[in-house]
Amino acid sequence: MDSFDRPTRREFLKTAGAGLAIPYVITSTALGNADVPPASERIVMGGIGIGNMGRGDQGAFLGRPDVQYVAVCDVRGGVRDAAKKKVDEHYKNTDCKAYNDFREMLARTDIDAVHVATPDHWHAIMVIEACRSGKDVYCQKPETRTLREGPLMVEAARRYARVVSGGSQRVLEDYRKTVDPCWSGELGELKWINVNVGPLSQPCNLPAELVPADMDWEMWLGPALWAPYNKARCDGNFGTSGGSWRSYIDYSGGGMTDWGAHHFGGATFAADVRELQPEEVIYNKEGGEEFLAYRYPNGLLLYHNRPNAGNLQVEGTPGASRPPKAVPSYKGTGGIYGDFIECVKTRERPFRDIELAVNTVMLSHLGIIAYTLKRSLKWDRGKQEFPGDEEANRLLDRARREPWQL
Amino acid sequence: MLDQAFEALKTFDWGADLGPLRPIDEALISSRGDAAARMELEARLAAVLKTGVSRAAKDFVCRKLMVIGTAASVPALAALLAEKDHSHMARYALERIGAAEAAAALRDALPKLAGALKVGVIGSLGARRDAASVPLLAGLLGNADTAVACSAALALGAIRTAEASQALAKARPSNEQVKQAVTDSALACAEGLLAAGKPAEAQAIYTAYAGADQPKHVRLAATRGMLACAGKKP
Repeated sequence: MDSFDRPTRREFLKTAGAGLAIPYVITSTALGNADVPPASERIVMGGIGIGNMGRGDQGAFLGRPDVQYVAVCDVRGGVRDAAKKKVDEHYKNTDCKAYNDFREMLARTDIDAVHVATPDHWHAIMVIEACRSGKDVYCQKPETRTLREGPLMVEAARRYARVVSGGSQRVLEDYRKTVDPCWSGELGELKWINVNVGPLSQPCNLPAELVPADMDWEMWLGPALWAPYNKARCDGNFGTSGGSWRSYIDYSGGGMTDWGAHHFGGATFAADVRELQPEEVIYNKEGGEEFLAYRYPNGLLLYHNRPNAGNLQVEGTPGASRPPKAVPSYKGTGGIYGDFIECVKTRERPFRDIELAVNTVMLSHLGIIAYTLKRSLKWDRGKQEFPGDEEANRLLDRARREPWQL
Repeated sequence: MLDQAFEALKTFDWGADLGPLRPIDEALISSRGDAAARMELEARLAAVLKTGVSRAAKDFVCRKLMVIGTAASVPALAALLAEKDHSHMARYALERIGAAEAAAALRDALPKLAGALKVGVIGSLGARRDAASVPLLAGLLGNADTAVACSAALALGAIRTAEASQALAKARPSNEQVKQAVTDSALACAEGLLAAGKPAEAQAIYTAYAGADQPKHVRLAATRGMLACAGKKP
């Protein structure tokens, strides 16, 4: 597939071939067959962060005949080796390259796209750097760790016309009982929808432990605050209440962002406000219970933990149906992964286009700030700040540890 | 309780229970709207930075000064910018403190630092979009330290003023990493100029990056930019 915005395999093979000192053998795999496109037609991919979610993402892309998976990157030697072995066994060769530093992988001109499944504090830097290097990106959710990161990721994607997909498959696949009646019009204009999700991440002050010999701890921390190694600090399990990086504020927003990316994504999809951002976050406290209401420009209220409301519970306008709309879906085949690959080929925007994903995760971040400050907030979408609110604006971002910056 | 929390800070270290420090967090919230209480709390926190407490304790303090710090905290924070173990946490607060003194402290530290600490301060000036630092950053575009030159370029792209754009236009990097950073920031400046209603100036930048010597994705960005300058949808 030759296109202006993607390096071609033919060009790369020609360039690489010119420097080869050994005979170049064209294998049957390279030529393709009825089920497998020739190498020059496949999307060349690498993966960064091949732990729990990354391993699943790697398997999904590796299993696609239209993908040639050529590189893995992880700061844990054992994980890295296992990820390379998986690729090599799949292709029955030893061609997969393994990297500790993602920048070396991104410098390769033969790679079209990467998937990123590191802890959240790395996402923005890697996605932006990938775009600067001309790569398309599939980034696991939650795509951002701070509010400032989101617009910069969107900007990088748009600047270089990159296909950048967020990573929640649940948005389209798990909430159809809520989404379908909203889009069919049978509920009429929506008044409100509720999301129940949590908890917020917590500070972490775990004691120092011996860094495993195969782990690059400085690189795991990257832009996050320095802290001594502790297994529980960096464990990739899916818990959000301690004993995992998902539990701690320096790396994650906790369940509020981790599951929030799914549930808020489903809610904004159902309510068809994926392209909007709220104007206001209203902090409430009733009977000792805190909850929020995000007010959208179209009048919709999106609640977080509204008392006595279920997750994805929606309130419409009884007796006032509206015209149905076709529910958007993935392109290509193979779920959210196929959607991304199809868009890499066609240059369309994926279902979880980074802008929509950012609009989702920002709800989690806005909520965390409102709960932290225990008060309501106004939001200026144009300026991406809390108007006239210096206290809240300080929480838009956090300084990155040297040498990392956006 | 607050006194006990500050007492606990003296021996606080990695692995210690955060519970005894909680009154400081609570004071952050409860002192909102009480300028005197905030000022006193800030002064007590800043004073801790001048003592020999642990890195963990100073990290804790800097996290709090990020939230409530003012110009009054800047000297204590600025004193940590040259210290390897504390420089990031000093920036953690200074980058988010809106007072002009915080930006000035970062600018003042810049010529005195080298390597990663210098890169960190450059990044913070960029994140603050500190227009006053443009001349300093422009002078670092040709720095022999690739990381410093890259960081300066990215900071100029974040600041995105006409002066930043001009500095980037004059850069002639030979290192590929610096070249990529300068390119990205120049394109960011072009977007800023276009958004500010200056398509002719943006067009000049895009034209410089549309040549066949540029990577494909850069040429694509430049071509799309030129279309936008002409009022056409890319």
